[in-house]
Amino acid sequence: MGNKFYTPDGFNDQFPGICGVKRELESKLRNLFLLNGYEEIETPGVEYFDVYKEFVKEEELYKFTDSKGSLLCNRYDGTIPTVRFCAGRNYTLPVRFSYIENMYRSGKAGGGKLCGFTQGGIELLGASGAKSDAEVLAIAIKSALEIGITDLQVSIGQVKFFKGLMKQLGIDEEGQLKIRNAIANRDSVTIEKLDISKEDKETLLMLTESGGTYDTIDQILPRITDDGAKEALDNLKEILDIMERYDFLKFVSVDLSLIESIDYYTGMVFKGYTYEVGFPIISGGRYDDVAKSFGKEIQAVGFSISLTLAITALMRQDKFVPAKCASVIVGGDFESATATAEALRAEGTPAILDTTGMDEEALENYAKEMGIETVMYMDGGEV
Amino acid sequence: MLTIALPKGRLADQTLDIMEKAGYDVSAARDKSRKLILEDKDAGLRFILSKPSDVPTYVEYGAADIGVVGKDTLLEEGRQLYEVLDLGLGKCRMCVAGPAELKNKLDEIPNKRVGTKYPNITRNYFEGVRGESVEIIKLNGSVELAPLTGLAEVIVDIVESGRTLYENGLDVLETVADISARLVVNRVSMKMKEEEIKPMIAKLKEALADEE
Repeated sequence: MGNKFYTPDGFNDQFPGICGVKRELESKLRNLFLLNGYEEIETPGVEYFDVYKEFVKEEELYKFTDSKGSLLCNRYDGTIPTVRFCAGRNYTLPVRFSYIENMYRSGKAGGGKLCGFTQGGIELLGASGAKSDAEVLAIAIKSALEIGITDLQVSIGQVKFFKGLMKQLGIDEEGQLKIRNAIANRDSVTIEKLDISKEDKETLLMLTESGGTYDTIDQILPRITDDGAKEALDNLKEILDIMERYDFLKFVSVDLSLIESIDYYTGMVFKGYTYEVGFPIISGGRYDDVAKSFGKEIQAVGFSISLTLAITALMRQDKFVPAKCASVIVGGDFESATATAEALRAEGTPAILDTTGMDEEALENYAKEMGIETVMYMDGGEV
Repeated sequence: MLTIALPKGRLADQTLDIMEKAGYDVSAARDKSRKLILEDKDAGLRFILSKPSDVPTYVEYGAADIGVVGKDTLLEEGRQLYEVLDLGLGKCRMCVAGPAELKNKLDEIPNKRVGTKYPNITRNYFEGVRGESVEIIKLNGSVELAPLTGLAEVIVDIVESGRTLYENGLDVLETVADISARLVVNRVSMKMKEEEIKPMIAKLKEALADEE
């Protein structure tokens, strides 16, 4: 029988009950995105490999060829296809798009992370500045709250700050790579061993220890002389100010060590976390350079939330109530049963109609087995 | 409640000593029974004892918030973790070793075969640092046998005293990395349980500084 009954590593079936909840969460997200003016688009799920090759490691893409021999790949994320979509058309900017789609990433799965999973997200294209950054961040927080993730921590960082700081400290490219890895891993051991002044070490260690809000910024600001790094901190401050107006400051902290994807992002970056899953469920940031790959200058910012991880988190946090299809089954005399079922459906009550002609006892047993609460057995017209 | 993954064995005991010095009640974890999870509700700590090389997995996936793990395992597994503290325990070196007569002559062997328990560290070192492709032969123990039997020219392994090497006519040829035990933290736990984790790191740091 081979692999017939199994799904490939990293891919899951969505069980009834869970799939229903997932669809509900999807519609909540969809409504939220639309309410904020982010129109949904659907990209095909298959892209030319060329679309992704600058942004994603080749081994992380599922690749295949079409009948002409062109190299294709599955959709890896929501952002790149959206930028491709926008860059190829003459939209009046700024323009706001949203998506809820399955993503496919080849590689290590585990701990709730899958190779095939569902993300919802938005992209604000053609808008720069802290106000745009803050809009996306606020919608990211709203989206988590909307789907029931209330234990939420969002870390915001700024890759421009790190770039500026490296310039200020006069560190060459090789050194930067080492420091970058050390800071992203909060590896103070490596930083303490660096061949730089004590004061510079202290500054770098502040990045690995950051976690407050305004205090974190104020603490490091006096040590900063580079204009780019200063601007980056100003940008974060302005974003914090706007978060305060949404009353979202309680969810947000500043983390200047968020620099893993520094080659992709160009400004503020953020990640959202909750209990019981070991990976961030939200990820976003400013990516002004991505459109350049499509020959356009489009400043942009966006975020995505993993519905798959969010559902795992809700389950582990005991906040998950499986969706139920129908609580009524109608059987017996087929003609009146059909009429009754239709009447129930017309009221909006999901009802199952027995099409197999079970007798009353069999119907009761079946309902018990399936967890259906109410049995209506029609005996010629009467219940 | 913080869940701490400790590697079974001496390293676990030494870590608990440091935690004790830092003012934590770790008596629950000293339990010598065969229980795998040891919990102290009052102290807000839960200890899990696992195979050393599994510690990073527990921590990366968030089944444990904090873990203690050798730098060798971290380098080999390449996990997404915060590596916050050098506990200074289990100090040793990751080395390229081989017959003593190969000293300073490593470059002269073309298409080397390298026996090791650490294929990723070996690949990263030979490709990334030395800039050459090698044939890696994955072994599970007594790696020193590989050059002695002609299975490989050299090995990459952990060297503590070097006695096993010397007694078999082998020697350290190059050092790949210094190894010691590190305190690692799950990236999400660091945010979600910051109020428990940050003070713990600070206290452990202090306890370590006192020791020196």
